[in-house]
Amino acid sequence: MKLGRIWNKLATPKRIPRFYSIIVGIVLVAGFIVPMAYDNHQLYPRPTPQLQIDEQDPFAPYDRGGTPLTAPGIVKSQYPQFAAKQGYVTGYLSPISILVSNTTLYFGTSIYSSPGGLIDEILYYSRGFDTVLESSILMMAFVVASWVALNFTMKRKED
Amino acid sequence: MDISILGGPILGIIPLGDIVLYFTPFNLFMFAAALAFTALIAISSTESQVEAEFGTLKNREVKVDKAEFKLRRFLAIVCGLATAGAMVTGDLFDFTLFVTLIGIVNIGIVAAVKEIDVLDAAFQYGLIAMIGTLPLFGGAALILASTGTISLLQIVQIPYTTSLMLFGSILFFLGVAGETGVAPFFATKAEMFRTPGSPFLLIIHLSSLLIIVRTIEILLIINKPF
Repeated sequence: MKLGRIWNKLATPKRIPRFYSIIVGIVLVAGFIVPMAYDNHQLYPRPTPQLQIDEQDPFAPYDRGGTPLTAPGIVKSQYPQFAAKQGYVTGYLSPISILVSNTTLYFGTSIYSSPGGLIDEILYYSRGFDTVLESSILMMAFVVASWVALNFTMKRKED
Repeated sequence: MDISILGGPILGIIPLGDIVLYFTPFNLFMFAAALAFTALIAISSTESQVEAEFGTLKNREVKVDKAEFKLRRFLAIVCGLATAGAMVTGDLFDFTLFVTLIGIVNIGIVAAVKEIDVLDAAFQYGLIAMIGTLPLFGGAALILASTGTISLLQIVQIPYTTSLMLFGSILFFLGVAGETGVAPFFATKAEMFRTPGSPFLLIIHLSSLLIIVRTIEILLIINKPF
């Protein structure tokens, strides 16, 4: 078959997603033979696996130490000079969290394990701009979806 | 590859915590181009369009309803702003988020046309944009895993390139191609640019072009082929 024919057959909106996903699938399968050489100096270091569990720490495996507003916990950031108050709320526990962490050893793996905590510090402090972008992506998705729902573009042919 | 070879000397940075935006003359030019086009979209009144008549020397004015283009215009402005942001960001994950924002806004621009064929094309584009998020974020995550950082100013100081970095870059490029690279194809297939009153839809082309140029710059920064 001639190349021009192939291009013309390809240039159909229906065929492009299939073509694209085939390419993505081939690349993903080829990824199995790529050697996994990870960087050892990761941005967010972790203690040895099971270390905190063996120490009977109720916050295991997420204990990062620190006292709220007085001593910072272990939170690393890429540019510490731009995040001077890093880690000061990592050790914060809500009253319910204190109660639960005193009664059970498995507080760290429960759903309320990060009341202030590491996740919020990364989300809202050192990488706060990402949160702004993520919520604007969500807002735009809702704008498009509500416009489509309000205008009933699906039932266009029945008008 | 050094940032100063690709884009000229760094004129300044905006630190937002770990996310550091940096300005070079190259990025600043693309930033200004995207912002200028967005400003044109915002101030122009495109709902009345003057066309030259065939065979005579007269002009003909084509008017369309303003309400029909309200949403598409708003989404085009958001698309322009996101493109401008993606031009100056110095953080890989931030860049992927900007690309995703452009992708979702492009779906909206293509989908806000009340014609069956265009909506079919919009559906296919939505599929490809959703598939594209997997290689996009997967590639960014692999680059983070292999370099240990997603700040471009830090990645540029790493002297070596591993095969995992290259693989992550290929996935990342595939993701960008799926999110914004194919958008002009679907918009052109649906003949959207010839609709009266909507020349601002060319922002799809502009954003796709600028994002691809910036992606190539980022991939050169990560992989250092020279």
